[in-house]
Amino acid sequence: MIVATRLIRDRLRGLLWWSVGMIGLVLLTVAFYPAVKDQGQALNDLLNTLPDAFKSAIGYDARIPLTSPPGYLNARLFAILAPVLALIFAIGVGAQAIGGLEEADRMEPLLANPITRKRLAVERYAATVALLVGLIAVLAAASVVLSAPFGALEGVSIAGLVGACAAVGCLAMFHGSIAFAVGAATGRRGPAIGAATVVAVAGYLIQSLQPLTDLLDPFRFVNPWHWYLQRNMLVDGVPPEAVLGPLGVSAVLLAVGVAIFRRRDLR
Amino acid sequence: MAAIRTENLTKNFRQIRAVQGLDLTVDTGEVFGYLGPNGAGKTTTIRLLLDFLRPTAGTATVLGGAPADPAVRRRIGFLPADLSVDPRYTTRDLLDFYGALRGGHDPAWVDALLQRFDLDPNRRFGELSTGNRRKLGLIQAFAHRPELLLLDEPTSGLDPLLQAEFARLIREMTSFGATIFLSSHVLPEVEELAGRVGILRQGELIKVATVEDLRAEARARLELRLAEPALEGVFDGVPGVVEARTEGSTIHLVVEGSMDPVIKRAATLPVVRLITHEADLEEVFLSYYAGDGNAR
Ligand SMILES: Nc1ncnc2c1ncn2[C@@H]1O[C@H](COP(=O)(O)OP(=O)(O)O)[C@@H](O)[C@H]1O
Ligand SMILES: [Mg+2]
Repeated sequence: MIVATRLIRDRLRGLLWWSVGMIGLVLLTVAFYPAVKDQGQALNDLLNTLPDAFKSAIGYDARIPLTSPPGYLNARLFAILAPVLALIFAIGVGAQAIGGLEEADRMEPLLANPITRKRLAVERYAATVALLVGLIAVLAAASVVLSAPFGALEGVSIAGLVGACAAVGCLAMFHGSIAFAVGAATGRRGPAIGAATVVAVAGYLIQSLQPLTDLLDPFRFVNPWHWYLQRNMLVDGVPPEAVLGPLGVSAVLLAVGVAIFRRRDLR
Repeated sequence: MAAIRTENLTKNFRQIRAVQGLDLTVDTGEVFGYLGPNGAGKTTTIRLLLDFLRPTAGTATVLGGAPADPAVRRRIGFLPADLSVDPRYTTRDLLDFYGALRGGHDPAWVDALLQRFDLDPNRRFGELSTGNRRKLGLIQAFAHRPELLLLDEPTSGLDPLLQAEFARLIREMTSFGATIFLSSHVLPEVEELAGRVGILRQGELIKVATVEDLRAEARARLELRLAEPALEGVFDGVPGVVEARTEGSTIHLVVEGSMDPVIKRAATLPVVRLITHEADLEEVFLSYYAGDGNAR
């Protein structure tokens, strides 16, 4: 695991800054909870007048008031901000793993060493996942530790909260794997980031249009955002497909990316 | 066993024929100069020998095995034309990393290399000057005492002091039995080191010769100053005389190959002074570049 540990060390400082950002996001979110809670019913009534599409986009669920801790955390943290942050991180690291390395002409000196392309690719993918796991661990720890003092943990199961963080990680891994595979196939960073971003935005749009039209329903079942956003995980737990879906797709993307990388010319 | 053997090795990039039907054998222990102008296909050949590129046709065997085999690459040192690594790595980071991948460097040897090239191992790659990057490139290529060195234009960008140190290192490595394959687009850089050279033009190997043979091919220029006005045509029909020009009492000669017949004929003339100019190897070389090499 020499290649993987080297990559993790190279990225550790970056991970530190991302962790600071993640902790900051959680802290800002939960710190405003007491104020929101005091708004109480007024806010809830207002929200009920909003269009369904908007409600679903912010993770609104009629059973769970937005002013309750699970409703608030889900809407403010898990419906959009935490996954977007994790996605950007995962896409960046995934695109760098092979595409970025090769584009910067740093692949050949490394591959002149006695390692196979397969080993290099698999180790750098493993390091990408390990870095993402690190960021998600920070998210989980921050959510659990920082929510309690602001009363944002009442009615939230710790298991549900940690599970939701894991689901964020899986969603990010899905998109990071796209960036990895496209980078491995092309040897370039731009297309890797582009492809993963397009898939992420398209998936999110399809999911947010779901209440308005059933035209896109066929895509729902292969949409990672649907797997992830279909219910409030802090109350109802993590649906299996929110974890297994991204893991399965990532495994396929890894296999395809490595297979193409092994066969092609370096650029 | 040959250190490098290629058979009909061919690489096309779409319509560009970068390397065409290369049949090349480099023997174990020799220093082989791989020459050609920019764009001739030198880098492409080296990339094929390291499995960075897959041949369009033909095969390459390196140290008796396939370039893709890590066990083969463990025994190869590679100097890219332009080394690029993470700018945050120090020289030490890079050498430790590569050492771990290669199953361990001999620390005494690595330290000796750092000292010979006078490189501070604690500076970051991003802070190194071009010259120092070249040094790091060389040190990482030699650090595991490889049996075969594939060096892409190793001496370009090295100052004369470093070139001398580089030459010493090459001789030292060959005395241990290592094989050196070095590319260059100018002859003088490899002339002193290489036993044989191959000349590549537009992807085709047009000549393989020892440096001595190339020298023998080189034309010598001489000037005969006579005691009396020179007659036209005295050197007509003398073997090896390519050009004879008379100017007052001076005869300018361009001679190819043996000087003997020229001296014999000159002995019949009242020669006052004989001026010779150094055999011009570069001229031979350039004639191959230009494309009239095949005719000679
Ligand atoms: N990756 C590539 N894609 C397309 N053309 C290439 C590529 N690499 C090299 N070439 C072309 O192949 C020819 C040989 O290039 P190269 O091997 O770099 O020459 P040299 O090293 O002798 O200067 C050149 O015409 C070059 O433009
Ligand atoms: Mg070149």
